Amino acid sequence: MLGEVVQLVVNGLVAGTILAVPAIGFTAIYAVLRFPNFSLAAHLTIGAFAGYVANVAWGWPATGAVVAAFVITGVAGVLNDEVVLKPLRLAGPLTTAIAAVALTIALENVVRFVFGNDLRGYDLPIQRDWQVAGIRIGAQQVKNLGIAVVAMAAIFLFLAFTRTGKAMRAVADNPTLAGIKGIDPDRVARLVNFVGMGLAGVGGMLVGLDTSIDPLTGFRVILSVFAAAVVGGLGSVPGAVVGALTVGVGEELSLLVLAPAYRTAVGFFAILIVLTLRPRGLLGERAY
Amino acid sequence: MTKPTAVISRRSFVGGAAALAAAATAPAIGRAQGAPLRLATLTPLTGAGGSYGPSMRKAMEWVAGEINAAGGVLGRRIELVSEDDQTNPEAAVRAVRKLIDVDKVPAVMGTWASAVTTAVAPLCWESKTFLTCVSGADSITLLPHQGYLVRTQPNTHLQIGKLGEFLLSLKVKRVFVLSAQTPYAVPAEERLAEVLAKGGAASVGHVVYDREKTTYRSEVDQALRAKPDMMFFNGYTPDVTVVLKEIFKAGYTGGKVAPAFAVNQKLLGSLPHEVTDGIYTWAPSPAADSEAFKRVAKALGTEDLDPYSAQCHDHISLVCLAIAHAKGEATGTAIREHVRKISQGGGAKVDSAVAGLKLLAQGREINYEGASGPCDFNEAGDILDCKFRYEQAEKGKFKLLKIG
Repeated sequence: MLGEVVQLVVNGLVAGTILAVPAIGFTAIYAVLRFPNFSLAAHLTIGAFAGYVANVAWGWPATGAVVAAFVITGVAGVLNDEVVLKPLRLAGPLTTAIAAVALTIALENVVRFVFGNDLRGYDLPIQRDWQVAGIRIGAQQVKNLGIAVVAMAAIFLFLAFTRTGKAMRAVADNPTLAGIKGIDPDRVARLVNFVGMGLAGVGGMLVGLDTSIDPLTGFRVILSVFAAAVVGGLGSVPGAVVGALTVGVGEELSLLVLAPAYRTAVGFFAILIVLTLRPRGLLGERAY
Repeated sequence: MTKPTAVISRRSFVGGAAALAAAATAPAIGRAQGAPLRLATLTPLTGAGGSYGPSMRKAMEWVAGEINAAGGVLGRRIELVSEDDQTNPEAAVRAVRKLIDVDKVPAVMGTWASAVTTAVAPLCWESKTFLTCVSGADSITLLPHQGYLVRTQPNTHLQIGKLGEFLLSLKVKRVFVLSAQTPYAVPAEERLAEVLAKGGAASVGHVVYDREKTTYRSEVDQALRAKPDMMFFNGYTPDVTVVLKEIFKAGYTGGKVAPAFAVNQKLLGSLPHEVTDGIYTWAPSPAADSEAFKRVAKALGTEDLDPYSAQCHDHISLVCLAIAHAKGEATGTAIREHVRKISQGGGAKVDSAVAGLKLLAQGREINYEGASGPCDFNEAGDILDCKFRYEQAEKGKFKLLKIG
């Protein structure tokens, strides 16, 4: 029984860490632009396919492909925002959020048009898991964990120590004041879109590394990403990490008492409970 | 001078109006001679069934083209209206509403996923629209469909019964079932347990998982704890791909079996051989030796035509022949009344809609046997007979074990 619990916690932490990467992107975009950008789902897919092209067509190793996924998805995120969402932001967050849902379906179909509906897998050997004291840990999962942790650490360092990162936090905290101090909100918006969607792309690729990818890859995980961001506190970057780990471990531990078919519901019960008890999420909505 | 003219025009107006009214109330055949015959395809062009839907639609388009080239159904061209069910019941309901309300089709053909068929069937029978599907869940033909539904896919009971017998022939003892959440997940496991128990083996556990998850590690752990010597993956391609990777990583080396629609050539292409080697698949077999099958396979440019496209070839053929047998009455009710009159019984055997239409035009009775098999239906709409095909994956390719 104890072994089972430990195994479930390990599985949950791995799932949560992968979820945390796009959740940071989602929450960072919310913090600066103040609307839930559901087009993150399509960008997860774009990232998964960008990584696929880099890995399979160009023959890059997984680590290089992750960088390609970040950059390509980041650029796609900036372009999509500039062309589609930015003109709509004046109409209010609800309009923009709905447009983002429409955008995600449109982009998903662009991916479908180019790559087709078939499942694709990365060109990576599949290794047997390691057994450590009766606990099963996957080599690919450890690598994913590593990539996720590095990505998160890079974001923290960027926000904490760079001038641009501080500008982003300033806009997130108080856009008017940041404007008075001479910070260009458009530049910050572009930057947060690049970084946020880039992280979504990395998240999409991490999901795909362990599974396989198709045009619906992003759509499948977006609700869990959203749950993670809301549980942690929409707009809070550390909150997204805490939320993702909570949702990941919570979903796995629920298997002790629930059939796996009900697992997805756990994330949403978590949203209900957290929002009832702490309407601003576990860590509130401070950006950093 | 103007008055007589006015009288004539009033008279002609009244006459014209009467003629119009008579035309509107006349039987469809009198009015619509030569008007296109609109039929609907509803296949999964996207979603989990997305690798089959386009080919299923193509098979139906090909048959429609052949019929049109040979002069149509009693002189009426077939016009296909195609919608995508997205392998999603909610999207399918929207699509079928449009097909029934806007396009006013008498028949909807080709639904694939059981959940989709279950969702659209009530709309069809309520509007007296005929539905043909390739879904297997037992529950489908148990619906109160009043005869407005037939399927060319054997039901779960028959399919799983065959699987159970096959597994017993492999001398397995402990089978664990990992199922995606579908309408047939539980009935399939129960039926398998029943067949295995009769042969001295057992179903040692069953997990139903959510298809939308990205990882199934914990489900796989649960399966491994039961120490099975055979695992049955009763899901769709995307989730079974993930599950297969997971059980390989977990170090499982026992037997594996899955329906052929889940473990297909595309899945073998997306996974390394060591993950897929040895996995058994079974599927209702189309009549691969039949001329009908060979013709449609050639027309679609493949030697390896999937069973659903073969079945869809038969769907549209059956619907057109039933309409022709009903003297051109293109309604769901007429198709319901006539579909068994052209698909079974003592009439002349035909294997294509064009040949059947020719014989019907000569006033002869026919018995259609198509690319998927004999197409004989019972009262509930289930097919009576079907062969099965058993294969095993080896180095990324399927090796045929037997058809029987």
